[in-house]
Amino acid sequence: MGSWAKPFTVQVSDADLELLHKKLELATFPDELEGAGWDYGAPLADVKRITEYWRDKFDWRKTEETINQLPQFTTEIEVEGHGSLNIHFVHQKSAAENAIPLLFVHGWPGSFLEVRKLLPILTAASPDQPSFHVVAPSLPGFGFSEAPTKPGFGGYQHAEVLNKLMLSLGYNEYVYQAGDLGHVLGVYVANAYGHKHLKAWHTNMPTYRAPTFWSNPLLILEIFTNKAVSQTLEQASRTWKKGGGYYMVQTTVPQTLAYSFADSPDGLLAWIYEKLARIVDDYHWTEDEVLEWISIYWFSRAGPGANVRIYYELTGGNKHDMFEGTKWTSVPLGTSYFPKEPIRFPKSWACLIGKVVFQAEHDKGGHFAAHEQPEKLAGDLRMMFGKGGPAYGIVPGKDGYA
Amino acid sequence: MSEQPFTLAIPDADLEYLRKKLDVVRLPDELDGAGWQYGAPLAHIQRLLAHWKDGFDWRKAEAEINKLAMFTRDVDVEGFGTLNIHYLHQKSEVKNAIPLLFVHGWPGHFLEVRKLLPILTAKSPDHPSFHVVAVSLPGFAFSEGPKKPGFEGRQYAEVLNKVMLALGYNEYVYQGGDWGHLLGAHVAHQYGHKHVKAWHSNMPCYRAPKLLSNPFLTLEPYYSAAARQRISKSAKYRVTGSGYFLEQATKPQTIGYSLADSPVGLLAWIYEKLVAWTDEYPWTDDEVLEWISVYWFSRDGPAASVRIYHALTGGSTHDSFAGAARSTIPLGVSYFPKEIIQLPKSWTQLLGNVVFESEHDKGGHFAATEQPEALAGDLRKMYGKGGPAHGVVPGRNGYD
Repeated sequence: MGSWAKPFTVQVSDADLELLHKKLELATFPDELEGAGWDYGAPLADVKRITEYWRDKFDWRKTEETINQLPQFTTEIEVEGHGSLNIHFVHQKSAAENAIPLLFVHGWPGSFLEVRKLLPILTAASPDQPSFHVVAPSLPGFGFSEAPTKPGFGGYQHAEVLNKLMLSLGYNEYVYQAGDLGHVLGVYVANAYGHKHLKAWHTNMPTYRAPTFWSNPLLILEIFTNKAVSQTLEQASRTWKKGGGYYMVQTTVPQTLAYSFADSPDGLLAWIYEKLARIVDDYHWTEDEVLEWISIYWFSRAGPGANVRIYYELTGGNKHDMFEGTKWTSVPLGTSYFPKEPIRFPKSWACLIGKVVFQAEHDKGGHFAAHEQPEKLAGDLRMMFGKGGPAYGIVPGKDGYA
Repeated sequence: MSEQPFTLAIPDADLEYLRKKLDVVRLPDELDGAGWQYGAPLAHIQRLLAHWKDGFDWRKAEAEINKLAMFTRDVDVEGFGTLNIHYLHQKSEVKNAIPLLFVHGWPGHFLEVRKLLPILTAKSPDHPSFHVVAVSLPGFAFSEGPKKPGFEGRQYAEVLNKVMLALGYNEYVYQGGDWGHLLGAHVAHQYGHKHVKAWHSNMPCYRAPKLLSNPFLTLEPYYSAAARQRISKSAKYRVTGSGYFLEQATKPQTIGYSLADSPVGLLAWIYEKLVAWTDEYPWTDDEVLEWISVYWFSRDGPAASVRIYHALTGGSTHDSFAGAARSTIPLGVSYFPKEIIQLPKSWTQLLGNVVFESEHDKGGHFAATEQPEALAGDLRKMYGKGGPAHGVVPGRNGYD
């Protein structure tokens, strides 16, 4: 265990809770077109119901207690050009001493809590499957981590934080699992620390920049010859058109959006719930679950306006894609495909990201795989890193077995 | 209900409610040295918020607005029942003044016509005069909005045309920018020649030309630096400044919750555009807050106004011109340098029958607010004696 890590408990102040309740008392709703359903965004009935539950029934202190059952810590991480950031993380060790150190990175609108259901499965010690020591941070500006204070905190800065966190815990070599922005940052970590520190990684949202005719002529030709490929792309384009508004706003004017996020609890709720409800596979969120998730944003250390800046920083204000400055790496990569993941690229394009050594496809699950299908996702990691698996023993001396 | 005079009188309870909300505002932080790069700067919003709480006098602003000749009337819309529509109607003392319909956009409103009124209605032998009607679009300011889906270009045009007919203006001319421009294409298509005799736009844009139908226009950017320069400005807007458009066109309800619940959220969302889209216009805090207040106190609430983006684009499945073919009625256009969407000037002929063109060296998207003399001057030239659209409304050529 790193000597600088301090135990951490979530402790939202009474003043913050009181302000939230004052605001919830004054919540003002818009009307809605008749029969709108989901055609115009989050439905009024849902947002009202959840907001009223928030106001009258949701018990934050009880939720806080449950969250605090997770072993949490904070540590100072120096980032070149950005000073020191206090980073919050969950760190759950396995009873198996040679467990594989695994860094789990959330995305947006996710949080460190997405690791929760994976923990008991991944850290379980057994002769039959590999076991992991799991580290799940709050990204800078998210959850209970400090946010950067100046512009320019891009992909490589995030990668620096993530790598240094693992090193500070004594994990000189580790593996990595993520989806969403966590996947994007995985590309940066692989580029900057691949082989030396990052030995292998896994993604449940395998995407990268699209191929060009000049770089990958065969993949381009495949679009015309393979119906499954062209259909996937058409679907991706439709999804983008209907659901990409948040991305266009967050990559260009995150500060403008920040005022709404910081000031309106149900405004924040609606923006995030619109995604939670729609990009999952038959997953029934309870009000408590949604509100716990939203509360991490509402009560985040840097305030709810800070997290969306990552979209701007990774894209230069939407001037380029999120992978700018990265390349294909030969770090072994595992991919898992879940049917309701909205951000999908053809499977044959995964080879553009890295050296694919493992691929799994599931018949159930959406964007938040770790939360919706923890057994399936953990199962994929066990297969990838277990005895006989393509990444077995990738971390020297830590093959995951007791 | 036929025409009723309209007096703006926001209830004390609404003012009190706003005050309560302003008292519990929670602001975000900001990156060091962010400036305008990431959106509306914190210092600006803090200053405006402080003024809103302690300096801005809504009742005073309201009294000034009430000096304008405002009315409401019920307008039947096929398939949507009646909507109670708010508008301003300022007649000129010139009996034969040209009836002019002024249409705002988003985040604009009917008050954008304010500075134009004294100029356009002024009587003189040297320039034409206008009777001015400025309608609040359904769902904006004090007009009722539709309550069910399907209220699209055709319906907005129907409302606008019916207001003019109800006022006794069987034939009229039209001026607009932003949605006012886009809806102008619909009004011209539906009622061109029969009712609307000519129109003017300060944001002239249309679909890009297709190579097979207009090879020369399509190829122009390849050999004209001026054309490329204009397109690059539009590209900059598209890439870095159009997030609001896609969000409002696809998820107007989602952003609507924030706009309805957070006065400072609404302020930032709109203020960012008021500054980004204008040519160094020296907004005063009172001006900004009056502008925002029209949204905050609007009849259907601020969330209703953004639905127009979804309605006119089919939820971002087509452009706003769908259903509006090019009309042959005379079209005048004014180009302002800081307008957000700029296309090669030669493409304007795809939009309509261009009879008047004017270019200015100052002004942006909110031309009527920023450059009222320039804009009014263009209308005077277009419709005045010797102008290309003079006498286009029979019996009302603008002179007595």
